[in-house]
Amino acid sequence: MEIFKNIAEEVEKGHSDSVENLIEKALAQEISAEEILYQGLVGGMNIISEKFKNNECFIPEVLVAAKAMNAGLAILNPFLAEAKVRSEGRVVIGTVKGDLHDIGKNIVAMMLQGAGFEVIDLGADVPKEKFLESVKNKQADVVGMSALITTTMSYMKEVIEALKKEGLRDTVKVIIGGAPVNQSYADTIEADGYAPDAASAADMTKGLLK
Amino acid sequence: MKSGNIPVLSVNEDTIPRAYEKAIKEVWEKGASIRTEYDRPEDPPSRDATVIITVRKPFGQPRFHRSFADGLGGLADYVMEVIHGAHDYWVKPLEEILKGIESKDTRWTYTYHGRLFEYRIEDKVIDQIGLMIDKLSKTGYTRRAQAITWNPKLDPPTEDPPCLQRVWGRLCDDGKGGYIFNLNTHWRSRDLFKAWFENVIALTTLMRKIAEMISEKTKKQVQLGRYVDISDSLHIYGSYFREIKGDPEKGIKSFFEKLESRSFEERTWNSDFVKPYFINDGVGKGLKPMLEREKEMPGEIRKAIEKELSMMEEDDYIV
Repeated sequence: MEIFKNIAEEVEKGHSDSVENLIEKALAQEISAEEILYQGLVGGMNIISEKFKNNECFIPEVLVAAKAMNAGLAILNPFLAEAKVRSEGRVVIGTVKGDLHDIGKNIVAMMLQGAGFEVIDLGADVPKEKFLESVKNKQADVVGMSALITTTMSYMKEVIEALKKEGLRDTVKVIIGGAPVNQSYADTIEADGYAPDAASAADMTKGLLK
Repeated sequence: MKSGNIPVLSVNEDTIPRAYEKAIKEVWEKGASIRTEYDRPEDPPSRDATVIITVRKPFGQPRFHRSFADGLGGLADYVMEVIHGAHDYWVKPLEEILKGIESKDTRWTYTYHGRLFEYRIEDKVIDQIGLMIDKLSKTGYTRRAQAITWNPKLDPPTEDPPCLQRVWGRLCDDGKGGYIFNLNTHWRSRDLFKAWFENVIALTTLMRKIAEMISEKTKKQVQLGRYVDISDSLHIYGSYFREIKGDPEKGIKSFFEKLESRSFEERTWNSDFVKPYFINDGVGKGLKPMLEREKEMPGEIRKAIEKELSMMEEDDYIV
């Protein structure tokens, strides 16, 4: 459908106003919110994610596209809730306590959202209590943790231990990322997944929930 | 670098994005291969040179390159950090800073704003930018208007000492009764690929602030002159080489192919496009979300950012 293609293109370009107008138009044509979401908005984010993977676009362009997607989502959300449309999964994500770096985490959050996940972003400097509370209250499927400095990466293990202690570890998949961590560290702390870059994080997460 | 001499390179361009692209090309092609403290054992040595970069029109358009490691809202947050001290409250206490790498406190050891506007020496706190403004307002041609960041007691033992070392400014007559403000910034070390551009957006915004304050004090028009940026070590880290070189087998483009595949307009943004994202980028960053999110920010700094926000919402304000 031409309108999905147009929405996707405008998301990719980061044109929030055009995305909003096109979505209103699509809803007026009685196209379902689910179709608009997956074929229009997610379609646009898929284009930019693919370009990002292939080093064909710049980081700020991903975030500009994400703003346009969020603008569209704000219109669609009530319709999606009414139709009880399920996302790919619910991800609680944050940079761990003591670490104020959030750029990588933000890009991963955008990539996950673009891949159809519902993302609850807890921000930076997140204590384990906040991760636990969100996993419980939001019934998350995935916990994503990021750290940029070697002195804070060990906190990821503390969060995993806290999840075990609360009996929540088996209810969620834990994914980690950030400059100082690697697959070997993920194995050591018993995380379920590690992605070396934001571009591969969404595919890895989808794989874990299959 | 067979001679053992670090190359000395020079870049002269009208705008910030043009200077950024040219500097990357120059350092990549002519820089020396040297290791840095941040290279991991598996990384190739970084590409490095001493570089002097002149931007003739610091607010010339397009002012924003699209290649940097953050979003536009995050860039706005960083500008507020440098010019208004938005994150001065993230700096750890002195006793923790003095522990050097033994400190378990992961908060910061400095901010540029803290060092430039509130430099601590003995029991005094010195507003060096305020002194620069006073000195230049009194004697425009003075060669003594400068602000330093380095603290020889606090910085050598830490893991991440300041990269910016000094800012130096001087006024020249514009021939029409006003002034032209020139600014030089001096950097010990600099991540060209992922930090230079954001640094320069913040420092040129500071340049404009200083010019405005001098204009207010002298009641004369103060225009912005050239911005000069001098780095002892301007480098492209070895860990970025994959991104710079690309990977043809996996269909990953090189950085230079990415540049060539688009027109200059398609790899930059002008200030009009960027301004709404500086106010609120829609994904949690920018001045409005920052004021909502950072409840611990001291009141005086909050007020300065609120004022900046209201100016930004005016039509003629250029980010």
